[in-house]
Amino acid sequence: MESLADTLWDVVICGTGLQQSLLALALSRSDKKVLHIDPNDFYGDAEAAFSLQEVESWVEKVQTGKEGLFRAASVEKLEGDTGLSFPRAYSLALAPQLIHARSTLLSQLVSSRAYRQVEFLAVGSFSIFKPSSDPSQSPTLVRIPSTREDVFSTTAISAKAKRGLMKFLKFVLDYESTPQAEAWQPHTDAPLTEFLLKEFKMDKELQTYIVTLTLSLDGGINTRDGLAVIHRHLSSMGLYGPGFAALYPKWGGLSEIAQVSCRAGAVGGAVYMLGTGVKAMNDQEDPIVLELTSGDTIKTRKVVRANESATDESGINRLVAVVSSPLKSLFQSTVEGAPTPAVAVVAFPAGSLSTAAGEASQSPVYLSVHSSDTGECPANQSVLYFTTISKPASQDLLQEALDSFLAAVAGDTVPQCLYQLQYKQLRSSAQSQASGSIFDFAPPRPALAFDDSTLQSVHDAWKMVLGDDAIEEEYLTFADREGAMDDDEVYD
Amino acid sequence: MADSGAPKPSSSVKLVLLGEAAVGKSSLVLRFVNNDFQENKEPTIGAAFLTQKCNLPTRTIKFEIWDTAGQERFASLAPMYYRNAQAALVVYDLTKPTSLIKAKHWVAELQRQASPGIVIALVGNKLDLTNDSAGGDGEGAGGGDGEDARKVTTEEAKSYAEEEGLLFFETSAKTGYNVTEVFTAIANAIPETSLKTARGPGASSAAARTEEQRVNLNGPRDPNAKEGCAC
Repeated sequence: MESLADTLWDVVICGTGLQQSLLALALSRSDKKVLHIDPNDFYGDAEAAFSLQEVESWVEKVQTGKEGLFRAASVEKLEGDTGLSFPRAYSLALAPQLIHARSTLLSQLVSSRAYRQVEFLAVGSFSIFKPSSDPSQSPTLVRIPSTREDVFSTTAISAKAKRGLMKFLKFVLDYESTPQAEAWQPHTDAPLTEFLLKEFKMDKELQTYIVTLTLSLDGGINTRDGLAVIHRHLSSMGLYGPGFAALYPKWGGLSEIAQVSCRAGAVGGAVYMLGTGVKAMNDQEDPIVLELTSGDTIKTRKVVRANESATDESGINRLVAVVSSPLKSLFQSTVEGAPTPAVAVVAFPAGSLSTAAGEASQSPVYLSVHSSDTGECPANQSVLYFTTISKPASQDLLQEALDSFLAAVAGDTVPQCLYQLQYKQLRSSAQSQASGSIFDFAPPRPALAFDDSTLQSVHDAWKMVLGDDAIEEEYLTFADREGAMDDDEVYD
Repeated sequence: MADSGAPKPSSSVKLVLLGEAAVGKSSLVLRFVNNDFQENKEPTIGAAFLTQKCNLPTRTIKFEIWDTAGQERFASLAPMYYRNAQAALVVYDLTKPTSLIKAKHWVAELQRQASPGIVIALVGNKLDLTNDSAGGDGEGAGGGDGEDARKVTTEEAKSYAEEEGLLFFETSAKTGYNVTEVFTAIANAIPETSLKTARGPGASSAAARTEEQRVNLNGPRDPNAKEGCAC
């Protein structure tokens, strides 16, 4: 086999985060020579999924400042025999993002045939956490009605509110056509809540329902973006089956898509090296000379990297908890014929939580609850992913959200938290950019739902790598490989 | 009596290939799937996985055979490769002792990464390069012509396989000797309880889990999908 140094590479891709991996998928049918490396010994970068053992070594790296965008990571375990299973029984996702059915990511996975190796699960209901006004009572979760059928059948809101909500849902479904657009465009940059109040006379509670559907981390989303996201949500409903608007890739979210994309790259001839980074680069030469941490010195025409430097200290705090209950009540399908959802979303509106010191939450906290169907934990347990925008009290508020949630879902006993991971993930305002023969991907934005704008930079990188060989119509559009499952054949 | 009207139950089984580069992993699969052999085959490019049925007296096993796609070269196989694999073929070249060491490493890796019940077959390939007449029965008796390139004895590999509870075969992908036998033995060794009837396209996880909750991206969205793939 040829040694690495003997090959003139067309591109070296550094990092196996989602964007770099999708690039590898996009190049998998080109005849370019691709070397794909990652300084980590796991796939997925900031979108990885970890066994408990891997969590611990990752936390150690974060603590020593070696994980660019991550800070303040810590793990807490219950002492003694806690019912925690073996470390590999878990796959905790750094990017547990849900993917709307209308997302271009899904259509690209279908057209590139990569979807065949990903198992998608349905994301179920969205609920709101309601603190109890009487301290002797448990807090509750209220499901947000987000389809007409839901609105009709819900008992959670008044008849008047139902009419308002119905009117709004109808409005959003067609919000880009003329009469509707005229109604919202004057409010385009104003907060969505203001628009809902003025145009639909919605009270605070209904506003919260709607804003929750946007999954906006700071709760202050503007009217234009808010309507776009709700439109995406509503128009995604039912697209791949009844009763759900979003999907989740089994076994750790975006990590799985990164792995499947890299495998497609490998099948197309790309060479993979984990645990190998770039030690030094000389881009004054043509071709570019790279010295790898493995000791190899190689030559390549192009380089694609990830920019992993944060621009400031803003970002999100996350708490990932493994709990000792399947939380079955959260994973009921609400529509006949709907698949059993594996993910449920709960929002804790601003003000619904407060720290022990009495400080109330200023931003919403979101919780994504994953059942064991996601493959992220063993049966009879669940994984909770809490996310909120970073503020000084965020860590305490996330703890509070965990306790309050467990109280709200407690039956005869309160589920136990067996394991928890906390960390902070910084945001960056850096943009993806090409300069000469080098392309830098912007760091991924920590968000609750997958943002299609990420895909544009993958496309840009693909164009840079292929140059004149890029044929737009063939971007991520491939035929099945020989031997792939034939839909008809499966049943014979 | 044997052929009654009802079709036999059919199950798919994910089988992963492991072993050092150039020991003949893909050649074994090509022999099994297409009954074909290519001299000087290039390193594997372009096959995501291959499928082949194996008929047993009471059931049909449909192997979904995953190639490493070269990701083993720098120890960079992803967890998704091992996931839900019910069988593994760990191949070494019996003319190359280091490849057996590597094979032992892969067996350990499988024991660490794969499902606990996985059926592992250790296969020494390239029997045609030895003096054991591949396919014949006279063990080393008449092998006068040519050099015997064997460097790993049957006993050594076999006793290791027994220790670890692996199936063991020596094969020649070139002549086809023992190839089908390997797959039949694996099919027979997979416990009935871990099999599920094949269902739905893209069943990459083969059988291991319930599939009711899986969302099919080729489902309701495009009911006319069968008319052409260029969607």
